[in-house]
Amino acid sequence: MTAATWTCLLLPLASVIVITIGGTHISRRAAGVISTVTTFGSFAAACVCLGILLSEPSYDRAHTTTSWTWLSAGQYHFGLSLLTDQLSVMMMLIVSGVGGLIVLYSLGYMHGENEERRYFAYMSLFVFSMLLLVQGANLLLLLAGWGMVGLSSYLLIGFYQERPSAIAAAKKAFVMNAIGDATFALALFLLVQQTGTLNYSTVFALAPHHGAAANLIALGLLGGAVAKSAQIPLHTWLPDAMEGPTPVSALIHAATMVTAGVYLIVRCFPLFEHAYFVQDLAAGLGAATLLMAGLIALVQVDIKRVIAYSTMSQIGYMFVAAGLGAYANAMFHLMTHAFFKALLFLAAGLVIHAVAGEQDIHKLRGVGKLMPRTRAAFLIGSLALVGIFPFAGFFSKDEILASALASGWYGHILYVVGMIGAFLTGLYTFRLFFIVFTGEPSAFAREHYHAHRGQEGPFSMLIVVFVLAVLSTISGWIQWEPMWGLVSKWLDPVAPPLVVPTSRDDWLSSAVALVMAISGAAVAWAIYSAKRLEAPKPWAVLEHKFYWDEIYDVVFYRSSDLLARSLGALVERPLINGSLAALGVGVSTGARELGRAQTGLVRSYALALAGGLAVLLVVFVAVK
Amino acid sequence: MHGPEIQWYVALAALLFTVGALGVMLRRSPLIILLSVEIMLNSANLLLIAFSRLHAREDGQIFAISVMAVAAAEVVVGLGMIVALGRRNVELDVDKLRTLRG
Repeated sequence: MTAATWTCLLLPLASVIVITIGGTHISRRAAGVISTVTTFGSFAAACVCLGILLSEPSYDRAHTTTSWTWLSAGQYHFGLSLLTDQLSVMMMLIVSGVGGLIVLYSLGYMHGENEERRYFAYMSLFVFSMLLLVQGANLLLLLAGWGMVGLSSYLLIGFYQERPSAIAAAKKAFVMNAIGDATFALALFLLVQQTGTLNYSTVFALAPHHGAAANLIALGLLGGAVAKSAQIPLHTWLPDAMEGPTPVSALIHAATMVTAGVYLIVRCFPLFEHAYFVQDLAAGLGAATLLMAGLIALVQVDIKRVIAYSTMSQIGYMFVAAGLGAYANAMFHLMTHAFFKALLFLAAGLVIHAVAGEQDIHKLRGVGKLMPRTRAAFLIGSLALVGIFPFAGFFSKDEILASALASGWYGHILYVVGMIGAFLTGLYTFRLFFIVFTGEPSAFAREHYHAHRGQEGPFSMLIVVFVLAVLSTISGWIQWEPMWGLVSKWLDPVAPPLVVPTSRDDWLSSAVALVMAISGAAVAWAIYSAKRLEAPKPWAVLEHKFYWDEIYDVVFYRSSDLLARSLGALVERPLINGSLAALGVGVSTGARELGRAQTGLVRSYALALAGGLAVLLVVFVAVK
Repeated sequence: MHGPEIQWYVALAALLFTVGALGVMLRRSPLIILLSVEIMLNSANLLLIAFSRLHAREDGQIFAISVMAVAAAEVVVGLGMIVALGRRNVELDVDKLRTLRG
């Protein structure tokens, strides 16, 4: 167990070290192969962990291994220790499995790019950081992984460093995440003050059960989760993050890193349950995000940005589930979402790869006719995303809605929002599908489409898309409430749910969600494929993404800019610069005046001496 | 106690000091100024010895001897400088030596 856990964590780190130190001594291809093999090695180790856990009774599946005391300060000691339990094994499997597939895909996608080695070193660094995040046995290691995934995300978004927009997007992502990291760290400080440790089990046992401290801790953790998972109000970085290479968008900004917020809430569920207001807030933010992102996705014209908004929307569903206490459902949706969203991104990547980097859906119109296999894969991903039976999203999303239906009046509001979201999902997903993949190819698509040796892409890309398409089709079946629930049974000992929907809730929400999704898809068909309906003019508010960027620009950038300028004009130049200049002028004038006393005439000095002496004498005599 | 009263010594010392001080302040030749300084120092010595004898203690006399030693050293340095000035054919007039003017 110990060996498998550490192997899983350290293999990607070894890959980073080898690729970095090897430099130009290893070929670009070898760098990619090293990265792929180590990530799959991690996956194998995670499978071993899963096997060992399966052989144990369900109440005794948590293993902690400590290598050494990582940090000690005064009476506080934090070990470099890893926790292997049901939740972390599930995340390890997703991270290393999907990660391995996407790194394999990158072999084809990044072939011929400049600095492929740097790319693969970053990818391995990301996998290592993400594994550290999910495997750490205390909140400090989680925070370390949290920061490091932020760093790898920053490095990979800015991978095309010659593009100013990529650099700007990387900075934006880093700054928005830093806000979340700060609130996260503040929550940890508070926890250390309250409990004296950061180990999960002790923290959960000793954490304050009510009052301001409990609320502040949960709020700080939620701040971190919201920033990392791109939820309102810290979501604006995710669409811009699409500047990175497409496999990066698939791995970091769809499948794994952005779902870390959900993992955090599920992992720290006792802290959130002690602050039910904050937990409700998490669900509310998730609902608001899923609705807003769904609306914005309707008007986007960049194929990757549509999928990025869809990711925000789907993570909104996970936040709803985690906020309502349906932890297993949140994690289940996290897993299926990792499959089908990676599939959508990678299928989009096939298109982008084949048409020389174009991402505008109107230019790509009809390219699906030239790429039938990609079209099939994208269709499977779309069906899974929209939640059509029997694809994965049907099982996982509907359970979240059923949990909402079973959660009282607040849950009912979220349920309605989620249903509207399901309709929007159908609409924007199939808008994208019908525009890009059906109909006659545009002149641009015909002109720029280049097959790869008669195929739609290199073999390493096609095989990955195929595997993900299969997973998106079948992975939902591992849990079908109320028939069977492998995921719930697996995770409930770690995070017992607060809400268990009845089978009536399940059937009802499944039926309604299916109707909503199909009607959304039908509207998209009528507008964009059959052209029976006129496409409404996009609203300005949607095209401006609800003005979030503009508001932040005014509230934070412009206001501080104005403050700095006015302080410069009113304080710095007149007061600080002015007083220093006056000081200099005063000293030099004074010195010049004083210098006149130095006549150079020895007799005048003697007179001054004698005069001074006389004055002193008179003073002494007078005082006496 | 033989000899004149202490007042005479003080009066003579004051006279010598005034002569020295006026010499320093009024004369232009560095040589004369140096001599005037010597006169002032010796007026002080005179007082030291006079009071030493008045109080019948030796420390005043010892102090006077050290003043003489310092004065001798000072004269050596001062005369050396004056000789150096003279060798360079500089006019020996302190009012002309004003390069230190601020």
